[in-house]
Amino acid sequence: MTPVRREKAERLADEELMPWIAKRDPEAFEVFYDRHGGAAYSLAYRILGERTGAEDCIQEAFISIWRSGARFDRTRGSVRSWTLSIVRNRAIDALRSKAGKAPKLTFDDDAILEARPAAEHTEAEVLSQETADEVRGAISQLPADQSKVIELAYFGGFSQSEIAAMLNVPLGTVKGRMRLGLEKIRGELAEGMA
Amino acid sequence: MNANEHDRRLEEAAAFALGALDAERIDDFREHLKDCKRCQDELRWLAPAVLALPEAIEQQTPPPALKVRLMEEVRADLAAEAESVPERKGFREWLAGVNLGGLTWKPLAGVAAVVLIVAAGIGYAIGNGGGNGNVHTWESEQPGGIQASVVREGDEGELRLTGLGQVERGKTLEAWVERGETVEPVKMLFKPDQEGNATTQIEDLEGVEAVMVTEEPAAGSKQPTSKPFVNVPLET
Repeated sequence: MTPVRREKAERLADEELMPWIAKRDPEAFEVFYDRHGGAAYSLAYRILGERTGAEDCIQEAFISIWRSGARFDRTRGSVRSWTLSIVRNRAIDALRSKAGKAPKLTFDDDAILEARPAAEHTEAEVLSQETADEVRGAISQLPADQSKVIELAYFGGFSQSEIAAMLNVPLGTVKGRMRLGLEKIRGELAEGMA
Repeated sequence: MNANEHDRRLEEAAAFALGALDAERIDDFREHLKDCKRCQDELRWLAPAVLALPEAIEQQTPPPALKVRLMEEVRADLAAEAESVPERKGFREWLAGVNLGGLTWKPLAGVAAVVLIVAAGIGYAIGNGGGNGNVHTWESEQPGGIQASVVREGDEGELRLTGLGQVERGKTLEAWVERGETVEPVKMLFKPDQEGNATTQIEDLEGVEAVMVTEEPAAGSKQPTSKPFVNVPLET
């Protein structure tokens, strides 16, 4: 495969870039990083809370993608969701490792990617990119106890039992808060799309 | 299933979507999900909310030096590929040629199993692979040494390791699956916890003859750069 020129790579959709990355095309990989590196770094920084760790996480995650680009499966989600799930898993593992806990090492985010038929991926992708402000607003309006459990779960990598112990509340309370909080965010998103 | 029981499941759907369902509940929930349209619908409904979470955080600008380092590594990879393992060369053939201070790759009768105790700096080959239904085990000959098992569910599986030493800074553990003459990396890199335990998921075990582990540079490797210190033969 002749290397793809940068200008051409920039015109390709994410899903079209991945085969080029799988064929070891550095220009395609650079475009891929330019598109998603910022969001990925922001996520790693949000989870790890410090720049050096976030940089290490991104370096490792993107090199891992570079070396395994062929393993992206478009039926299981968008490139962006896949990338962010890899970054999140790696950052959570780094966080847990630093805290002396067993790495999580499960593809929890894959579960949510699997949950949707392929046809819904593009819609969710557009939805998530266009309504970041709405999501921020929705999270900020959640009762503190609901946003807390969601943050601890998603950005802290804690299980519901760990959160219950941490907050000294019954497990059922944590489950309920998670569900209510997510339902409200989802409701705001749906309203934004209406 | 009564209504209360189902409400409990729906609450688990939110935890599952957030990746926060307790490990011992995940298999049970997945099983339930297969036949429960209501929970499937709930997950589909919640998915965009979870996927939007990383988009909603404060955006940071990555330092330009990060991209420079990343692209340097990419180009170094490409430059090194010409000198790396020839693709058509068999894995065992390649291993046989790796210089490990006199150690050799020794295929054992029927099942090839080699261990290199990296942490102790001592390596020796043993044939100690064992299989029991969907659990395949292996252990080093050294007392109190590394024990490994691959727990298989269909074509997926989990590699569990105990008795590991700590990985030095700048290094990571990488698992590999061997199919015939090819060896492929497992998706996730991993490190042992403070107790020397580690697990990693293997997405596709179809046709895999052995699962191995090596120590690699922190970003992982496309192909193993040392002999595996764990080798769990699978009885296919």
